[in-house]
Amino acid sequence: MPRLPRRQILFTCLLGMILWVSACTSAPPSRFDQAQKDSTSRGATSVVKESEAGGSFNRYFPKAGSGYQKVYSQEKKGFAEAKLKQDGKEVAVMAISDTLNNPSAANKFKNSSETIAGYPAVSQGKTGTAILVGNRFQVKVLSRDPSFTESDREAWLSKFDLNGLSRLK
Amino acid sequence: MSKPIFELVDNLPTNNLTVMMLKSLDFVVPGQWNNLVGFENTIREVTAETDQEMIQQIGDRAIWLYNDKSQGYQKAMWLYQTVDRADSALGTAALANKVGNKIPLVGGLLTKVTPNPDKAQALDLCIKLVVELVAFCQINGIPGDSIGDFVTSLADYSGESLMRMAALICVDGLIPLGPDFILKAQSILNNTSPKELGSNSTFKQVQELIPGNNTNSQLSFIGESFDSVKGWMSNFVEDRNLTPNAIFGKFQGFLEFSENKLDYVAAFLDMTTNYYEHTGTQTLARRLIERAVAEI
Repeated sequence: MPRLPRRQILFTCLLGMILWVSACTSAPPSRFDQAQKDSTSRGATSVVKESEAGGSFNRYFPKAGSGYQKVYSQEKKGFAEAKLKQDGKEVAVMAISDTLNNPSAANKFKNSSETIAGYPAVSQGKTGTAILVGNRFQVKVLSRDPSFTESDREAWLSKFDLNGLSRLK
Repeated sequence: MSKPIFELVDNLPTNNLTVMMLKSLDFVVPGQWNNLVGFENTIREVTAETDQEMIQQIGDRAIWLYNDKSQGYQKAMWLYQTVDRADSALGTAALANKVGNKIPLVGGLLTKVTPNPDKAQALDLCIKLVVELVAFCQINGIPGDSIGDFVTSLADYSGESLMRMAALICVDGLIPLGPDFILKAQSILNNTSPKELGSNSTFKQVQELIPGNNTNSQLSFIGESFDSVKGWMSNFVEDRNLTPNAIFGKFQGFLEFSENKLDYVAAFLDMTTNYYEHTGTQTLARRLIERAVAEI
């Protein structure tokens, strides 16, 4: 049997080590691998430039008062969010987002027969209620405390300046 | 390429030196920090959702947001990771030396630890504070130099963010610099030249993201930031009657050290813990998930 050249032995050993090391360091498969792959592919973006600046949403949020405080917490392109506190305790989160950045978010309103203040409405999961304004802007209220019920969410949704928001283009 | 956010959150330690130290600081901000680990766990905790399809949608959107560099979340993560790179080998060695539930700070372990001079320690404190400010602005979408907005929102800090500030005050302020750490740090900062700042190793690591066109204006920015936050810090200390002794007492729950080695405690923790990175990862995960659930 011909002797393997030294270089070949060295190469085989190195290759083995590389495979062994990478097998040890790679993470186990995750249900989020696909999102990771898609969102890091060339040209992927989570926010499109046509979306509305988050700062322009602030004026459509409801006014606080009567024991409630409103604290703005995030303001990004296409998104604005405020916490709703009652006597200092966070009871809900209110948000406006531009569905141009996440078009699938608008789909759930298509089959909805519910409306709030005349706009298509859905309840989502255990803690969220949302409406779609002007076929584009999603307004959502999420409970952060069990005392803040679905009817509270509906009431606060109708306190937004929805007609004003519907005219935003 | 940077690691996926879900991996970073999944891989957060549940019982290393950082976690032990933060748990011992629970008395400063009782019940605020519970070391929430794991991406799915965080989704459940933040949103109270248990539906698998909802969890998938929220997680997917959070990952998209994190990976979009224009959204600032990765910059914030880089800041938190870079400002306190711990010496993990030393931490592991220390844990291996554990006797019962405590790590004895003696012998070989001490020879590897050198207490920082006051100047380096004071600059560390000020730079970490500015890193929090810049990271806060990146995460929340506020212009990067909004000192006023940051100071206002400190009043609203809670959970792991409040614990991070508590640890900053205790571990990088009171313990190494003493009860008058605010005055001391400010006077040191006032006597620091741009050249000295430029040669500080912590500053060099994060310099590119500190507001200012040159070291001179960056030094002014650090000074202004510290000046604006010092009132909040001194109230924080006074409201809780925090003293170095009280903190040393709690550290004795997991460290064993003698009275004449107090200098080494701060240096040891500085070298072996990464509480900015740890709690910063938790803050980022929360903010991403909060935004994701509102956008889906």
